[in-house]
Amino acid sequence: MKIRIEFSKLKGVRYISHLELMDTIRRAVRRANLPAEYTQGYNPHLVLALGQPLAVGMVGKGEFFDLSLKEKIDEKEVVVRLNESLPKYIRIKEAKYVPEKVKSLQAIVDTAIYSINFDYDKNKIDDEKILENLESKNEIEIIRKRRKKDDRRLDLRPMIYDIEIDKNYPVWYFTVSTGSSGNVRPSELIKALNERYESIKEVPLVNVIREGMFVKKGDKLLKPFASQVVRS
Amino acid sequence: MNVKEKINDLLYKIKNPERYIGNEWNAINKKWTNDKIKTVLAFPDVYEIGMSHLGMKIIYHLLNSNEDILCERTFSPWTDMEELLKENNLPLYSLESGREIRDFDILGFTLQYEMSYTNILNILDLADMAIRSKDRNEKDPLVIAGGATVFNPEPLAPFIDLFFIGEAEEVIVELIREYKNLKKKNYSKEEMLFELNKISGVYVPSLYEIKDSKDRLAPINKGIKDVINKQVVENLDKAYYPTEFIVPYMDIVHNRAVLEISRGCTRGCRFCAAGMTYRPTRERSKEKLLSLADEILKSTGYGEISLTSLSTVDHSQVEEITESFMDKYQKDNISLSLSSLRVDDFSVELAKKVQKVKKTGLTFAPEAGTQRLRNVINKGVSEENLYDAVKSAFNSGWHRIKLYFMIGLPTETEKDLEGIVRMAKRVLEIGKDIRQNTDKRMKKIEVQVSVSTFIPKPFTPFQWVSMPSKEKIIEKQDYLRDNLRGRGLKFSWNDPDLSLLEGVIARGDRNTAEIIETAWKNGAKFDSWNDHFEPNIWYQAIKDNNHQLEDLIGDIDLNKILPWSHINTGIKQKFLKKEYNKSFSEEITDDCRENKCTRCDVCHDLGVELDIIGDDF
Repeated sequence: MKIRIEFSKLKGVRYISHLELMDTIRRAVRRANLPAEYTQGYNPHLVLALGQPLAVGMVGKGEFFDLSLKEKIDEKEVVVRLNESLPKYIRIKEAKYVPEKVKSLQAIVDTAIYSINFDYDKNKIDDEKILENLESKNEIEIIRKRRKKDDRRLDLRPMIYDIEIDKNYPVWYFTVSTGSSGNVRPSELIKALNERYESIKEVPLVNVIREGMFVKKGDKLLKPFASQVVRS
Repeated sequence: MNVKEKINDLLYKIKNPERYIGNEWNAINKKWTNDKIKTVLAFPDVYEIGMSHLGMKIIYHLLNSNEDILCERTFSPWTDMEELLKENNLPLYSLESGREIRDFDILGFTLQYEMSYTNILNILDLADMAIRSKDRNEKDPLVIAGGATVFNPEPLAPFIDLFFIGEAEEVIVELIREYKNLKKKNYSKEEMLFELNKISGVYVPSLYEIKDSKDRLAPINKGIKDVINKQVVENLDKAYYPTEFIVPYMDIVHNRAVLEISRGCTRGCRFCAAGMTYRPTRERSKEKLLSLADEILKSTGYGEISLTSLSTVDHSQVEEITESFMDKYQKDNISLSLSSLRVDDFSVELAKKVQKVKKTGLTFAPEAGTQRLRNVINKGVSEENLYDAVKSAFNSGWHRIKLYFMIGLPTETEKDLEGIVRMAKRVLEIGKDIRQNTDKRMKKIEVQVSVSTFIPKPFTPFQWVSMPSKEKIIEKQDYLRDNLRGRGLKFSWNDPDLSLLEGVIARGDRNTAEIIETAWKNGAKFDSWNDHFEPNIWYQAIKDNNHQLEDLIGDIDLNKILPWSHINTGIKQKFLKKEYNKSFSEEITDDCRENKCTRCDVCHDLGVELDIIGDDF
């Protein structure tokens, strides 16, 4: 029985890696005494699948993982039991059973919203004007650094779906493509702005929050356990 | 000041930031209220090493189990973190409250390895405290230390206010309560230390000095005890053992539930400090172990539990215990591991039961290459034992065997080194033979020979013995390297400089403290880390303090008063001398487990008994 779970990874654990997060969840499932499914074979381990990794240093407010249970336990109870068994900086928000053959998180999640705190003085900088200028551009080219491969030129423009700025804070919200069919890295957004606008300083990844992970259906952003997503 | 909060936004700049955040499952964050004594445990190495150390965990949870005591943790920051703290003018802090170390009443160091002593000085410095006790002020925390290497406290004497000698479980709470009581009465630090020194096992080094021409450390005044007795837990079943262990995020060295099944070892190997200082052997009962394991697994969620002790297989109920564990936990996908195997068939059979599937490697420690030398060191293992053990290991599917040996042992000759080569090659042959004649698929046989250098340690029969010179050590290592070549053989060795300096500190006296301080001032820290160890800093420090390495690692006259003679581990010097003499006539001493007291006097002297559960006598 596959259950898809939404959680947040908060500031107190933002420096733990993807693998460390997986171990933490595995142990929490044991502590919660949930009837979890284990892999067969020589070295059985808990069946657990996370979505796209969150970079070390970033907070995530709408992250997901899939778990397999041997018997059905009420969704709300799964949330309560896991929250009792997780460090307080990892919070389960919602859990929903999904069909056994549903596509994996990594395969269907294609959109992410990042908020970036650029840490400038709102009174001194006309950020809406900067945004207007940015949106008028047909191309936002960056140089993508790749591990063990040559750098590559890349246009971010078609992968940025929406940008909004908070009214009171120097915080920008970027809705962008994520995953295998085109991935925008927050560090590249920061760099792209910094290179083009003097007043936007380069900020570290700890200023970024991944606000949510979605499946894009037309103009709609759906959560990966939404019925429209898991049915198809 | 909350340092942790201040530095948190900058941790992305360094490696492994999760070392410095705390917030783990089961970490204890107590409120800072006036009624509590605030203590912080400091481990002089990085987080992932410290968090693998059982002793520190026991003390952490024990202290926190008392309402009026709060206990937090700190570790040596890696050099990048040290720089980050310094760049931002921030002191070292505790992982729980994030407060600076100076906010605490008591700072307690875990002593586990001589070559981490420079890290102790570094932690004091990063905490904005003076290195030497006499230079610290009334407001600084009381600096205490205890642990595996505390039995010779002298090399650290000027830096530590108070040592705790022996097993802390029973007396540490009493010590802290007395501190609280004295603090309420507004005692000065000096007055306080004088009072605390009255507690059993407590040693305040500033109350002792070397008088006249005698080498014996003696009390500076009347009314101060002249011998400090090691403290021991009488009954492990009744002793405190934590169940709600902290579960680190980081993949630490020993990332599993740990269950100490016994303490002490009865084998009496003459080089082994732990085997002598943790006497007498005491076992936990099967019932107690099973109930502890249940609680630990429930509270931690670990998928693996390790049974540890100096010699796990020696536990009188080890078969029943492992069987019960397997019956109980296999269905929950919890695996079991044993920490130390004896060189025999029995151990392999046991390992076979435990590791039904994942057969990676097995480790055996014959320690020396000939029966003669094994008699000298009282390692009761024969060549046949080893070959039987590896035969049964290879037959059961293991393909990698690791063998531990030592070089530089007293009376060692070329023959003994040849013996190491012969044994390693024989083990390889046995493996190849079995692999050729089996129908099962078996990976290529691999024999890893790991050779360390003998280091004489206090309170062992070899405490008077010299170490070989650096040239001699290198010569021996070269011989082994040249002769342990070839397919299936792997040879690894210890840095000779590191071993020699460990030897210097292990048997050091108060003058050794000067060497440690000089080395630290010239940049020595993380000495046990290959990429950080700079032997020349140490050799210069030895010279600067007018010492000669040869003297510091040389023979010690049997009649000389030793720097640790004011510490009583319960083992009589008479016994150690007898063992020393027996070693040179190649006489072995029996295991005292089999109802044969060897008269080391521990049981008699400390008023405790050998506690073997399966013993019906």
